[in-house]
Amino acid sequence: MSKSDRQDGPSRRQFLALGGAASGLAAMGLSAGWAENRPSVDAATVAGSEHETDVLVIGGGMAGLFAAVKAHDAGARVLLVSKGRLGASGQTPFAKGFFAYDAARESLSIDDFVARVSRSALGTNNESYTRQLAEHSLDRARELKAWGFFDQVLANRPFLKPITARDIPLMERVMITHLIKQEGRIAGAAGFRLDSAETVLFRARAVVLCTGAGGFKPNGFPVCDLTHDGSIMAYRIGAKITGKEWNDGHFTRADNPAACFDNWGDMFERIPGTTGIEVHHDLGVESNYVAYETGNPLPGGPPGSVGGRKTSGGPVTPQEFQRRAGGPGGPGEGGPGSGSRRDGPPPPPDDGRKPAGGAPDFAMNASQMGGASAGMSIHKSEGLVPMDARCNSTIPGLLAAGDALGSHMAGGIYTQIGSSLAGSAVQGAIAGEEAAGYAARSEQARITPARRDGILAEILAPLKREAGYGPAWVTQTLQGVMIPNFVLYIKKESLMRAALAYVEELRDHHAPMLRAADMHELRLAFETRNMILSAEMKLRASLKRTESRCSHYRTDHPETDDANWRAWINILQGADGQMVLEKQPFGSWPDQS
Amino acid sequence: MTIKSIHGCIGCGECVQSCPCDVIRLDPSSGKAVIAYPEDCQICHLCRLYCPVDAIEMSPEKTLPVITPWG
Ligand SMILES: Cc1cc2nc3c(=O)[nH]c(=O)nc-3n(C[C@H](O)[C@H](O)[C@H](O)COP(=O)(O)OP(=O)(O)OC[C@H]3O[C@@H](n4cnc5c(N)ncnc54)[C@H](O)[C@@H]3O)c2cc1C
Ligand code: SF4
Ligand code: SF4
Repeated sequence: MSKSDRQDGPSRRQFLALGGAASGLAAMGLSAGWAENRPSVDAATVAGSEHETDVLVIGGGMAGLFAAVKAHDAGARVLLVSKGRLGASGQTPFAKGFFAYDAARESLSIDDFVARVSRSALGTNNESYTRQLAEHSLDRARELKAWGFFDQVLANRPFLKPITARDIPLMERVMITHLIKQEGRIAGAAGFRLDSAETVLFRARAVVLCTGAGGFKPNGFPVCDLTHDGSIMAYRIGAKITGKEWNDGHFTRADNPAACFDNWGDMFERIPGTTGIEVHHDLGVESNYVAYETGNPLPGGPPGSVGGRKTSGGPVTPQEFQRRAGGPGGPGEGGPGSGSRRDGPPPPPDDGRKPAGGAPDFAMNASQMGGASAGMSIHKSEGLVPMDARCNSTIPGLLAAGDALGSHMAGGIYTQIGSSLAGSAVQGAIAGEEAAGYAARSEQARITPARRDGILAEILAPLKREAGYGPAWVTQTLQGVMIPNFVLYIKKESLMRAALAYVEELRDHHAPMLRAADMHELRLAFETRNMILSAEMKLRASLKRTESRCSHYRTDHPETDDANWRAWINILQGADGQMVLEKQPFGSWPDQS
Repeated sequence: MTIKSIHGCIGCGECVQSCPCDVIRLDPSSGKAVIAYPEDCQICHLCRLYCPVDAIEMSPEKTLPVITPWG
């Protein structure tokens, strides 16, 4: 035996035997996979606190702000809790264009606006939520204006204004890991603090999830703090989840792809403004398809080096919404160049409105393609299934708003510029009011001591493990499986089945053995677990939808199939713990049974 | 390097609060901001924008190899 074969670490032969994406990453020596846990926090001495309120709002973005304010104004005692800072976490800090439908200025009626969105979305939008957006957006914009939102670059201070004026208790840097259901309805939530060794338990009559969307901690889009926590927690207590097959196609550059700030030009430093009607059909997977067929972007390559190429086939844009090549946001251009304008700041005003930045110019300086936000759907198309147009989920007392609600407000593709931010405001306000009403007529469901102790033990388990998988390594493994262009962007059955086998392995043999040495790593452990389940949902929903439509494209089913697929896909946990998938026809509400 | 270095910190804690990814912490002994978990930085610059004395320097490069859909 040679000397090197006897070393402690894995031998070269063992490395070669491992195979797959995971070992490739491990061989690069990124972060420890399985290792001894050396906690700096003693799980045995972790403190615990308990809090009680009528309405618990989880999430400190645009939706959470309005949910808290409106629940308070409707007479409820409210507590606002967030993993990050109010207005400085989730996606809200980066959005600068706010859609406000102003009947005095628009030539389109609300009916015409809804009809146009529905044509672009190929039926995938929920018209009740599209209409509601238009009806309420101007009122929300006016409130934001009064709080100073349109006068600043950083949202924290304007967001604090209405919260402090109402004395609404605010707990920041608290990661919620569990929703609690008792007696068939919501009873509260639990999690832990990032800044001290403390678990936190909330008893509440109603809970509004404003936890945003999520991704696989992707490179190039600032959503690495979001891992679909709300959807996954809700799924685990029986809620239905929808929209997992859609793809957000935001771009990043081939040069320093992870540099979100640099890629968006100076947009993050601009003040927000309002946008008027401008309906498109873009930021799906068009550029991913071009790259798949003709090759990928090169660092330092010419502008739009992928998007500029022509291919036949691929995702279909309805005729009415096709744009002239070279025109603004033309096919394949999209993304944080002109493409970000779908969802980015408005173009320079030509109607006398307040200027708000204008489109970022980073498309101009390097080659790019979609895939910056891997693991995320179109805003508002992915999340809890609404039971009605008032943001109620299928669990009594549990509501969701904004990116956490699968309202399908815009549909399975980006349609109206600036509607994502406005939609979170509009839905947050409705959910807050609705939650206050529910809380006023409901008793607090009792959380049994056994349930509480079980949940707290689950929260602390990764800190207590003597050895385990590092969350960073499991996340990297998941990224290696899920992010490549040929898995979730340009889909086909064989590859999705292969990826699903990996993900099931991570779910069954890695998620239960994650370790954490401190509160930061404890957060990563729960985020990793949530990403794994979200990956499974995305693969299963994508396998089930045997057609192509909007931002969901399959090479083995390239056509749109209206006969079978004018339906959304909902996912729920079956009696045996496995995922169950069901169809809900477009334009209908879920079965109450 | 992502978030690269902090010079001239006055220990106000704004960056710690404003980092969505919990990358920065205040050092208990010095009371100054330290880059505690650089590998989790998403290069969003919120810390830099919230810092009242412009103490934070950024770089566009990640500390970890970057996985994108194309490589
Ligand atoms: C770069 C960029 C540019 C954009 N530009 C625009 C634009 O110009 N116009 C537009 O309309 N839209 C835009 N969007 C989209 C828009 O930002 C979002 O749709 C919107 O802000 C979502 O708001 P939200 O309140 O629903 O969720 P978020 O703002 O994502 O907030 C989620 C909140 O939940 C908290 N949270 C998450 N998980 C937990 C947990 N487990 N426990 C406790 N708290 C938790 C987070 O800390 C955060 O506070 C952009 C997005 C990005 C990333
Ligand atoms: S750039 Fe963003 S993620 Fe990185 S440390 Fe600053 S605030 Fe945190
Ligand atoms: S925001 Fe600036 S001054 Fe304040 S703690 Fe951070 S680095 Fe120091």
